[in-house]
Amino acid sequence: MDVVYGDVTLGVHGKDFDYIFSYQTGGPESFVAGGLEWLYRTPKPTFWRATTCNDRGSHFPHKASMWMGADMFIETTGVEVLVDDAPLTGFLAPDNSRLIGSGYEHPASVEVRYTYATTTVPSATVTVGYRVVRTGDVLVLVRYEGVPGLPELPAFGMRFVMPSLATGYDYRGLEGETYPDRMAGARRGTFSVSGVPLTPYLVPQECGMHMDTDFVIVSRTGTGDRTARLTFRRHDRRFAFSLLPYTALELENATHQEELPPARRTVLCVMGAVRGVGGIDSWGSDVEPAYRIPSDQDIVYSFVISPSQR
Amino acid sequence: MKPSLSWLTDPEVFRVNQLPARSDHVHYADEQDLKSESEKLYQSLDGTWAFLWARNPKEREKDFFLMEYPDDRFRTIQVPGHVELQGYGRIQYINTMYPWEGHAALRPPQVDMSDDPVSSYVKWFDLEAPLIGKRVHIRFEGVEQAMYLYLNGTFIGYAEDSFTPSEFDLTDCIRPTGNKLAVEVYKRSKAAYFEDQDFFRFSGIFRSVRLYALPQAHVEDLWARPVLARGGQGRFSLELQFSYEPGFLGSVEVSLQDAEGLPVLNDRAEIDDSVSRLEFASRDIGAVHPWSDKTPYLYLLTVRIRDAAGRVVEIVPYRIGFRDIRIQNGVIKFNGKRLIIAGVNRHEWNAENGRAITVDDMRWDIETLRRNHINFVRTCHYPDQIAWYGLCDEAGICLMAETNLESHGSWQKMGTVEPSWNVPGSDPRWLRIVLDRARTNFETFKNHPSILFWSLGNESYAGECIKAMYDFFKDRDDSRLVHYEGVFHRPEYRPSISDVESQMYAPPSRVGQYMESDGTKPFILCEYMHCMGNSLGGMQYYDRLFDRYRSYHGGFIWDFIDQALFVTDDVTGERVLRYGGDFDDRPSDYEFSGDGLVFANRVEKPCMQEVRYYYGRRIR
Repeated sequence: MDVVYGDVTLGVHGKDFDYIFSYQTGGPESFVAGGLEWLYRTPKPTFWRATTCNDRGSHFPHKASMWMGADMFIETTGVEVLVDDAPLTGFLAPDNSRLIGSGYEHPASVEVRYTYATTTVPSATVTVGYRVVRTGDVLVLVRYEGVPGLPELPAFGMRFVMPSLATGYDYRGLEGETYPDRMAGARRGTFSVSGVPLTPYLVPQECGMHMDTDFVIVSRTGTGDRTARLTFRRHDRRFAFSLLPYTALELENATHQEELPPARRTVLCVMGAVRGVGGIDSWGSDVEPAYRIPSDQDIVYSFVISPSQR
Repeated sequence: MKPSLSWLTDPEVFRVNQLPARSDHVHYADEQDLKSESEKLYQSLDGTWAFLWARNPKEREKDFFLMEYPDDRFRTIQVPGHVELQGYGRIQYINTMYPWEGHAALRPPQVDMSDDPVSSYVKWFDLEAPLIGKRVHIRFEGVEQAMYLYLNGTFIGYAEDSFTPSEFDLTDCIRPTGNKLAVEVYKRSKAAYFEDQDFFRFSGIFRSVRLYALPQAHVEDLWARPVLARGGQGRFSLELQFSYEPGFLGSVEVSLQDAEGLPVLNDRAEIDDSVSRLEFASRDIGAVHPWSDKTPYLYLLTVRIRDAAGRVVEIVPYRIGFRDIRIQNGVIKFNGKRLIIAGVNRHEWNAENGRAITVDDMRWDIETLRRNHINFVRTCHYPDQIAWYGLCDEAGICLMAETNLESHGSWQKMGTVEPSWNVPGSDPRWLRIVLDRARTNFETFKNHPSILFWSLGNESYAGECIKAMYDFFKDRDDSRLVHYEGVFHRPEYRPSISDVESQMYAPPSRVGQYMESDGTKPFILCEYMHCMGNSLGGMQYYDRLFDRYRSYHGGFIWDFIDQALFVTDDVTGERVLRYGGDFDDRPSDYEFSGDGLVFANRVEKPCMQEVRYYYGRRIR
């Protein structure tokens, strides 16, 4: 594994992968695996879900709308680098020059840790660490630090936007679309989904969540029609994810399916917390308390991104 | 009689020359007709009709029904179908508000005569051979919302109540060939105040139209009363009503066979044209197979009329079932066991044709219900097409058969209870109208074993008129329970309307509160788990009520299918689903009609697996 201490970025290169972490964009700027670029833009934390009919009926967006801004705009407030789990100082220009040809260029692990401040009032802090090991596996450690005085969160997770539409995905977890308050009827198993379907609710809204997942493998067409894969798998606990052709805000903005733009990218959200969908009524009742996401408590989760093509 | 436009707003006039409501049986001419199910005494008038449309009564062609009115002035339209989906008038979706909200200030029974579209339908037809020379009736299964009927230039009758059959006797005016049938359909009438359902507001002849000939002796009505008594013993009685050509002399035979075709009962009586009503008294028939949602066992009742020479004059087959529903110690018992309602509310809907659905649509619905362990349907909030009830008998889908009544716009204003001009309330002007709706619902469907509850309607508040509807059902039918939710807002009527405590959208905690503070009646949720968009969750909180309270019987999810319409998108040219407000219909309730467990194009929503799981646990 080779680490490139650039002036603006930190590159990590191995047999089967090439990653670039940017100090400028505030996160990873390139993940190349299976010969294919997997990042359209730098992934960031996500705080919004396209409001459901029940969210709107219960006036949840009126309470939570600050998180919509936070989802769209987030400030990167710090970057740290850890080499073999020890903090590295002086990785920014001009100090980085001394790292060239140093013993730091071939570590067993390197972690780039970003700190973000949300645009909410008060602001909350999120840290996301990417710890790369020689196999190319990236352990992503995500921490939301709870703050008193903020509305409940509509969602919390990491959003990865991929440059093209996936040809499909395979996952082990629960069948169908599941939410924390709607997963009892789902069969556990390994499922293969063709394309990137969007559940066609009359008004586009939050959809396609998969709770309790062990792994999801995203397939895209690489060079010469070869299929390239990127795997997201559990680290300690299972995670939830959705894989859709749109971001929450693109869905939020559409009042009909046909208003959505042509599907051209893959939006994978790996979630640390999912709000329930509820069901009592659509004109006032909130989801049951157990299925809300309090904003004054920490949310900590992790998952592994693996470039393995096997 | 001279028809009058004033009938549209006259509370006293809502059926003119309409035949009395009767059971929905089909009659056959002979054994061959029965065997082949060719129904040769029936003649369908479905298909292409001549058509004129006007924005209001003033602009209509008043003389269109006359024989001499020129044919070349007409355009064409398909029957059955809504006129709005065939290019006439505005498509509108609105929920609680009356459809004229913001356009006209009206109080019952007023109609805005400047905006009351008139559809003038004409069908030319020759009688098919088996109908010639016989008495001929016509049945409109559904016409929205008020209709004037003419045949060969003569006024025949007038009807309201969009969702039940309207039948008329055409015998005096009909001829073998060259008949001109003319129907003038009004989109608005006083009936609008009772038909404020949460749906698209359509008009026109949206269900089938059939002529049928009456043999010289004819079963006008049958009421089979199978009783499931203790120990699985069956009792059976039958009441028949006849009409005749003068001078008829003959006999009627009644047989009952089990599902294997083995005889259970045979009886016979002499009849002649003076016998308009005949009762076969109740008798024990030994052990029977009960009808239930799990085992929808049906017996075949056959009524044969023969003439004096023994020749078959008419055969009426009807499938009946033995089941028992009653309240015992505050618990609803269905065939002796606690009733479990794993239910759903169902509007008739098809994204292409609106409420003009097909039998194939119904079959798909039934298969989907069965596959997902849904055992109960509330026909919200009107009687469905006749075919639906028979399919439910066969498939074991229990029904809450609702009367065509919903008037929430008259007492719910922006979510608050404001009944200053509630209809029907206790206003004696409305009593006959709502009783007629109850009677037609009852008389038409009374023989269906799948119906376990009659329902008085939905969200119409409560008063003396609805109490009278309740009394009507209780008086006529002791084999079913009667349901109404609207007393929730008028507790003083709780003891005298509805056999069950019914609430809608009560959170699980409120159900518990009722159970623990009152609990005198069995409890059901006539609507719950509002499935709008991606919105079904938390079913376990309702499911666990079954274990906590014996007299909690479950509920009906709102609802079965999204109501949205396919249209061609101007921009992309693709077929897309549209909803309220997309037709420049204002005010509107927009996507509020998209609450189904299945999408408008009959694809299951992802939440269905959750329903299948929780319902399956309870009814399997």
